[in-house]
Amino acid sequence: MQLTRESVQNKPMETTITQKSDATIFSLCGRLDSNSAPQFEKQVQDFLASPGTHLVFDFDNLDYISSAGLRVILNAAKAYKASPYNFIACSMQDHVLEVFEISGFDTFITIHPSIDDSLSALKE
Amino acid sequence: MNISFQIKNKLTELVTLHAHLKNMQDDWAISKKTAAQINLVLDELVTNIIEHGDSENEHIIEIDLARTDCEFSIVITDDGPPFDPTLRTPPDTTLPVEERQCGGLGIHLVRNLCSHCNYVRANNKNILTLKKNLQEKCS
Repeated sequence: MQLTRESVQNKPMETTITQKSDATIFSLCGRLDSNSAPQFEKQVQDFLASPGTHLVFDFDNLDYISSAGLRVILNAAKAYKASPYNFIACSMQDHVLEVFEISGFDTFITIHPSIDDSLSALKE
Repeated sequence: MNISFQIKNKLTELVTLHAHLKNMQDDWAISKKTAAQINLVLDELVTNIIEHGDSENEHIIEIDLARTDCEFSIVITDDGPPFDPTLRTPPDTTLPVEERQCGGLGIHLVRNLCSHCNYVRANNKNILTLKKNLQEKCS
C-alpha cells in the first residue's frame, strides 16, 4: 500500500480558545491522541490551576480521541468538580461520544448536542 | 482482503499508522465509525507497546489486518520484552469523578470494541490477536 505524501504529514491538533463573558470555550480540531495530548494538556493547565470561568470543550471538529486524550479530559473534570464553575462538553461525533460512553465519562461530564445548548445551559 | 505493514516503536509512528488505516478505509469500503474504532484499538495497543516496551532500542511492530464480510481481524507482533496488555486490571467506570483514575482505560476500550482479544508469547515475540464483528455487513 502506497502512502501519499499528504497523508503522512504530522498535523497536530489545533485548539482555538474563545473567551465569552462567563465561559472559556476550547474548540478542538483534528486528532487528540498520545502525540497531541501533551501539548493540549499544557494549553489547559492554566485554566485548571485556578478556574475563573466556566469551561466548555467544543468537539465539533474533533475527528478522533484516544485514552491519552481522555486523561486530559478527566483532569479537567476533576479540577472543575472542586471549583464553583462548570465544565461541560458539546458537539461530539458519534464515534467520539462512544469512547466517552464506554469509558463512563458521560456519567460525570454533561455533553450537549451543540455549543448553543451549552451556552444556554450555563446561563440558566 | 488483507494488508501488512511495519512501524517502529516511536509515538510519531501513530501518524503512519493512521495514514495506512485511512487508505484501508477507502480501499475496503469500511464505514467512518468502524474505521475510527479500528484506529483506536490499534492506537491503544501500539501506544502500550511503545510506552511499556524497550524505548532505548529500535523495535519493529508488525501489523497484519484482514477482513471478510463479517469479521475484521488484527494481529500485532513485536519483538520487545514480554508484555501482556490483557492482564491489565479493568477500571471501574462507575466511580464518581473524584475517584476515577486514568490507568487501564486503553485496554478497556479495546476489550469493548473487539469481540476477541488474545495474547501469546512465541519465538521471543509478543503476538496479540483481535477480532471485531462487522455488524454493518452481518445484521
